[in-house]
Amino acid sequence: MELLVDLFGYLSIVIHGLTILSQSVTLGGVLFLVLLARPLNLPDVAAGTARIAGYGAIGLLVSQVAGVALQTAVLTDTVGLDVWNVLTADFAIAGAVKSVMAALLAERLLFRRSEAPAIALLALTAITLAAATLTTHAAARLDDRGWLLFVEGLHQLGAALWIGGIPCFLLALSRIRDGRQWRAVSARFSRMSMVGVACILVSGLAMSMLYIGDWQGVYGTAFGVMVSAKVTMFLMLLGLGGMNFLMVERQRASPDASADRLRRFAEVEFGIGIAIFFAAASLTSVPPAVDLTQDRVSWAEIVDRNTPERPRLSSPDHDALALPALQAKLDEQAAKQKSAPQVAFTPGAGELPPRNADDIAWSEYNHHWAGVVVCIVGLLALLNRAGLRWARHWPLAFLGLAVFLFFRADPEVWPMGEVGFFDSLRDVEVLQHKSFVVLIVLFAFFEWRVRATGWANKTARLVFPLLCAIGGTLLLTHSHAIANVKDQLLIELTHTPLALAGIVAGWARWLEIRLNPRASPVAWQIAGWVWPACILIAGLLLLSYREA
Amino acid sequence: MPNRLLTGMLALLAALLLPGLASAHAILEESAPPSGASVKAGGLDLRFRYNSRIDRARSRLTLIRADHSRDIVAIEPDGPPGILAAHLNLMPGAYVVRWQVLAVDGHITRGDVPFTVTAH
Repeated sequence: MELLVDLFGYLSIVIHGLTILSQSVTLGGVLFLVLLARPLNLPDVAAGTARIAGYGAIGLLVSQVAGVALQTAVLTDTVGLDVWNVLTADFAIAGAVKSVMAALLAERLLFRRSEAPAIALLALTAITLAAATLTTHAAARLDDRGWLLFVEGLHQLGAALWIGGIPCFLLALSRIRDGRQWRAVSARFSRMSMVGVACILVSGLAMSMLYIGDWQGVYGTAFGVMVSAKVTMFLMLLGLGGMNFLMVERQRASPDASADRLRRFAEVEFGIGIAIFFAAASLTSVPPAVDLTQDRVSWAEIVDRNTPERPRLSSPDHDALALPALQAKLDEQAAKQKSAPQVAFTPGAGELPPRNADDIAWSEYNHHWAGVVVCIVGLLALLNRAGLRWARHWPLAFLGLAVFLFFRADPEVWPMGEVGFFDSLRDVEVLQHKSFVVLIVLFAFFEWRVRATGWANKTARLVFPLLCAIGGTLLLTHSHAIANVKDQLLIELTHTPLALAGIVAGWARWLEIRLNPRASPVAWQIAGWVWPACILIAGLLLLSYREA
Repeated sequence: MPNRLLTGMLALLAALLLPGLASAHAILEESAPPSGASVKAGGLDLRFRYNSRIDRARSRLTLIRADHSRDIVAIEPDGPPGILAAHLNLMPGAYVVRWQVLAVDGHITRGDVPFTVTAH
């Protein structure tokens, strides 16, 4: 268990992301039901909304119980506490309250459907929200605790009102055929979304002031960089929401034409919203910028690191890397002493592996060759879009990249290194790299089949955009296990735009597939050019990547 | 089938959507002795100051010696919310105090403070 603490810490953030997602869908669904579906007298929409919120509540119950169970397992094993002791800790009590509220909400929403009394639903929602704030950064702050708990609650309420309500809005758009009702639903959800945006803006500004403090905290700390990524995605959502708002206002007369675009944009809004939820979950693993008074990165260091240089296309020797060199030294010592050799690195033991200049060169070489492949993919995808038929085989280049990453990304791990494959998965960075390989193989295979063989399966066509967006989100939470906090942040600064390019590419391709080209020709054209351009940008970013 | 396959893949990828380990939620802002310090043999007051409220009853300090033997260090039960304190009697040698803390919001983090104890 001692060797799994980092991995469990890592898993607990995933579970936290799923908790935020299911909580937002539950609370957003309840608010949609009480403030929109019932007042507008739409029984069919109300029943569907209750079902969405009810399943959201089950998701919240499961993820909350899983999160508390995981933390309990770690604490009982590593600190030697009994289960009851852990379950009386503040976070476990807050988790238990949320779980009970989620169970009650699920019972009312799934069994009493739209007849569940509004006052009871709102009371359960308020208690869930209050308990949720007790597992945020605010609960553990030494100063300004009361204010921060309030603004954290406001932030989560805003997310629920806006992003959490989108699945119910999509359901309503698919069920309503009457133009007047369609207009009424869109207008009211626009108002609810605006209130949600206002809550997020006010609370986000307040939290930025209290958690980040100054401008250097924005670009000079991991917390600030992650908040910047969240703000960028928030602005994307505002853009999409704003276009939907204008569409609702302009096209009152022809609701059918705008419904398609409205739905597709709302789907993308929800997808980007999920990326924001996971970014928010990963923020909880990073100390607030105001607390990081040392080891901040200066603007001059960022400029220096990101000034383009010639890509490194030749690799250092594997034996020259720090870990193989250290292991060889330990083996030699053991042979002299006629004893069993010590292991240079144990994945999951909580220690960071040593690094030397060759390790840096090795990593830069990997990123630069990956950049070459991704640039080729982006160019081919653009040429394919421009009408060059043979360029449709571009997904195959990704398979080569997957093989390259499998062998090269973690030189200390099998098949190149001494650490066994399954042992290596205790190391969070290795696990992330291996998951990237799986991701790339899957989306390359599906997209190649769709393009080369004309596979008409609708679900198969969505695999590439979905996995691309998920890959971007995964990269947003990717970090390098490097002891030097500054170097680590300088690397994250280059990975964050890469992640955003992946997220935009995925959702732009989603729009290209899902939009009706005849009903929305301009949006369809823009989406079709944006995603290959984003892949090309990602390739250029990889080519300019440096670690020293 | 493709729907089920897609759902399965998404579940797998969601399970892999994980953050990094090198950053930590509760950070050690100051320690006595500081990391890498040399202190005199005898009685030593440990004092670790964090940026968060710590649940000290559910946190742990472990003393690791040069020969990798280890002992659990008793944490003082009272004190300010962001501070862990303890008292040790140490012989000369190289030591590491490994800390694992539970912040009251439920996040567990850990780290090491290495130091040397000298005879004079």
